[in-house]
Amino acid sequence: MKKSLDLRGLTCPEPVLRTKKLIDDPALSCIEILVDSEVNVQNLTRLANSQKLTVVSSPEDIHYKVVLQRAATEDNPGSHSHETVEARHKQANTSTSTNTSTNASNNSSTNTSTGSGTIILISRNSFGQADSQKVEGDSDKAKRDYDFSSNLLNLFLQTLLQSGHEPRAILMVNSGVKLMDPEGPYIKVLNELKEKGIEVLACGLCLDYYDLKSKVAVEQVTNMFAICEYLFSADRVISP
Amino acid sequence: MTTNPEKPIGANQLTNNVKAGGCSAKISAFELKQILAGLPKTKHVNLLSGIDNFEDAAVYKLSDELAIIESVDFFPPVVDDPYLFGQIAANNALSDVYAMGGKPLIAQAIFAFPTCDYPLAIAAEILRGGADQVAKAGALLTGGHSIQSSETIYGLAVTGLINPKDILTNSGARPNDRIIMTKAIGTGVSLLALKAGLLSKAEQAHLFSALTTLNDRALEAARTVDIHACTDVTGFGLVGHIHEMAKASKLAARMLISALRFFPSAQEFAKQGLVPASAYGNRKSFEASVSYIKDLPLEVSDLLYDPQTAGGLLLAVDEKDSANLIKTMGEAGIEATDIGAFIEGIPGHIDVLIS
Repeated sequence: MKKSLDLRGLTCPEPVLRTKKLIDDPALSCIEILVDSEVNVQNLTRLANSQKLTVVSSPEDIHYKVVLQRAATEDNPGSHSHETVEARHKQANTSTSTNTSTNASNNSSTNTSTGSGTIILISRNSFGQADSQKVEGDSDKAKRDYDFSSNLLNLFLQTLLQSGHEPRAILMVNSGVKLMDPEGPYIKVLNELKEKGIEVLACGLCLDYYDLKSKVAVEQVTNMFAICEYLFSADRVISP
Repeated sequence: MTTNPEKPIGANQLTNNVKAGGCSAKISAFELKQILAGLPKTKHVNLLSGIDNFEDAAVYKLSDELAIIESVDFFPPVVDDPYLFGQIAANNALSDVYAMGGKPLIAQAIFAFPTCDYPLAIAAEILRGGADQVAKAGALLTGGHSIQSSETIYGLAVTGLINPKDILTNSGARPNDRIIMTKAIGTGVSLLALKAGLLSKAEQAHLFSALTTLNDRALEAARTVDIHACTDVTGFGLVGHIHEMAKASKLAARMLISALRFFPSAQEFAKQGLVPASAYGNRKSFEASVSYIKDLPLEVSDLLYDPQTAGGLLLAVDEKDSANLIKTMGEAGIEATDIGAFIEGIPGHIDVLIS
């Protein structure tokens, strides 16, 4: 489905916000936007690249047209869409002088594109059922259960580190992001896994909820869009 | 992108009809050079610092022991909270005096306000925020001038005092001096994210605290070592101000990305297209003087050009003093970092490296 937006007369951050809203609608495959400054074109290009969309912009009269398209569908992930991106860049580069370098440099550093391998999804700070939320105001038994399952998770990560298995990424969501606490017991093993080349990423929304966002390196913060891409492009997902 | 449901506490959304806020509203260096090109250069035997070298303020010698520092700075609202806006604008104006090494003495307010569009109580809050910030700097607010306008503007003209031998310019850096930066980078991008309602409460608190922190203690700590050159990082962005300092000192500079401190999530916001217009202006003005490693992420280079409001001090100190200075700053609660060095080379050229 295609949709057009006329955002002329609006200044930053309005065009980015309004476009973002449309991008979040999965039913739309193509968005055509009119803006009237080069800054808006550049910012929309950044937005599109961060959302893995192809982008073509061209100057028209006194305004600019920016066309965003979903880069890959479930039927044609990976290579085919990449060619499309390249082709579109060439086309864009010849038709306008405004957006060349930005597109090229951003697409080459794509970090969540389709791929294979195993993804480990940790959605709570324990191995299995016991949950920190059950502990509060509860018996000693629940506390012991929680400590036990929390230790189990640590043991799992330690074992993973020594096993030689190399999952593509470890994703943390919900209370799982507590593992990223720089003062917590998990951070050492996570850093060691990261050093082996495994991507260790945590959901930004969740970090924010647990007041951990300022304590985690920016490159390890991700969003639900990227998490979704990781999960769907994985050969298998393991949730301890 | 996480949408924050709670917009900042604001009365009538002060930033609503503002096109560019804070130092983002600055005319780009590229344009400014064209504007100033035809103007006569003021020269006087007592004028120790004028408009040459893009200095932060003018310095006029009164006697061998005494000089006055004169500077003015103002801009449209960057936040919706009027008191906070007053604090930030005043802080930004006071900063120029510290950047020259001086101490603010008296200040006068510059104020434009649409009295038909906003309640007068808002105006009073802006002025109260400014007055409190001036008091925090130990200076006196002695009056000012106000006009009716379609856009709100607030700032200060500040007079400071200094002993001429203590003046800090941006032209005194020496080869192999280390470059010290005393605040995080990314206020332009963060303020845009704030306007978009995307800054979490924790991120807001972090940003507001930096924007209202005076550079007085950073200067005091810096005085414990021999400072070769000093400026404050504002509208031209980190790269722009390093470039000006390097050029004025007839040196090149080397900058280390891994040593930079960015505001939380600033990279993420830049990546999603929340980059202020004047960051693009700064890129245009300074990019020709910069060479960076090939795969530097775009969001990082965006932040190098990001216009800073009430930014930190940028200092050139001897190699041997760097570690001590950072330690002294740390003890004073200032998170300074050593972000690179001045080197022999093409004046004003900056090599951006990872580490």
